[in-house]
Amino acid sequence: MARCSVCGRPAVYVDRAGGVAFCEKHFLEYFDRKVRRTIRRFRLFRPRERIVVAVSGGKDSLALLHYLVRLSRRVPGWEVKALLVDEGIKGYREYTIKRFERVAGELGVEYRIVRFRDELGYTLDEIVRLGAERGLPYKPCTYCGVFRRYLMNKAAREMGATVVATGHNLDDIVQTYLMNVLGNDWEKVARLGPVSGPASHPRFVRKVKPFYEVLEKETTLYAVLHGLYDGFEECPYAPLGERWEIRRLINRLEEQRPGTKYSLLRSLLNALEILRRAGVAGDGEVRSCAICGEPSAHPVCRACLLRIELGILELSEEQLEKLPREAREMVLHALRLREKRRRRASGGAASPADRGRGDSGGAG
Amino acid sequence: MAVRVRILGRGERLVEYRPGMRVIDVLRELGLLSNEYVVSRNGRVVAEDEEVSDGDELVLYPVVSGG
Repeated sequence: MARCSVCGRPAVYVDRAGGVAFCEKHFLEYFDRKVRRTIRRFRLFRPRERIVVAVSGGKDSLALLHYLVRLSRRVPGWEVKALLVDEGIKGYREYTIKRFERVAGELGVEYRIVRFRDELGYTLDEIVRLGAERGLPYKPCTYCGVFRRYLMNKAAREMGATVVATGHNLDDIVQTYLMNVLGNDWEKVARLGPVSGPASHPRFVRKVKPFYEVLEKETTLYAVLHGLYDGFEECPYAPLGERWEIRRLINRLEEQRPGTKYSLLRSLLNALEILRRAGVAGDGEVRSCAICGEPSAHPVCRACLLRIELGILELSEEQLEKLPREAREMVLHALRLREKRRRRASGGAASPADRGRGDSGGAG
Repeated sequence: MAVRVRILGRGERLVEYRPGMRVIDVLRELGLLSNEYVVSRNGRVVAEDEEVSDGDELVLYPVVSGG
């Protein structure tokens, strides 16, 4: 039986890459040291912050909420709240919401739930169906990712957040890294640092990833030890994403060669430095979407464009005329695409809905 | 006799017990990767090299999840 490298008690965790083992007490100390090092090293938080933790109700985000609420009790300038975006995925989200509300209650943390249905008029399930009917080439993870990020930023700002913390762990990060390397998309790689987002846009809230250097096995163990993991649900759309395959591949490699994930993270940190020196900026220029005013990399944000393509956002002639030229051209292009797909779909041709882009922009 | 394995969210399996068997052997028998599960044995979280006994109950918490 493996014994704790510190005290000799039975181990709950063996770090094969580091050649050490820990009992429950010393695992939790190791975990705390590791996260605090990430926070310090990448300057994730300032002495005074209003932190909003983005939670899904899954083990990683609940572990993060639990961790930050406890840590904040020792930092007088920090205030922690939670935000859950409910996409409306039937048979999944209702269960994680229940767990989230229990944990939030136990921790005594203030929270808000925002719903796709209220904000966009449709649930993700309805949006996926609409997209397929209209012959849109996107996977569910694309809609979910775009709208979720959009609403998360907006809702967190309304809650007075100075920073949003997400539960992304080392596994999520290196999976996204590998997906974007395979796609040869270095601008997306450049966005994979532990702090994302330009602080310059007045409506943009900075996003940080405190579990950036923590393995998913470690966040899971933290959740199990604190009673935050009492049931298992999986997003029904997850197996459709490219991430599924990549994750399996990396986990097999890690099993054969412990330390593979840490190597991938070091590779990413080097790549980020090289990209920064080469002037490949992850954040690029930030403007305001000409339609909704939210921060956007383009004249019209992806959330508004997707809504136009889906036919759930219509602009009048007058509104269209008022848009700046570049923005108007983007909208007209989206409308032409929509018309082309509509004709193709009504012509009975095979729907291309199963092809196209994955969720390589961010982790689940 | 056997070791009973309950995988959270994915049902129950039985694995035939062999003397000297460890948690990692049980996982291998089921075709599972040790970095994809946190394992508890009779209610206590254990490391993968922990020996199991006949009639044990293991609970596997999937590390991997979507969403």
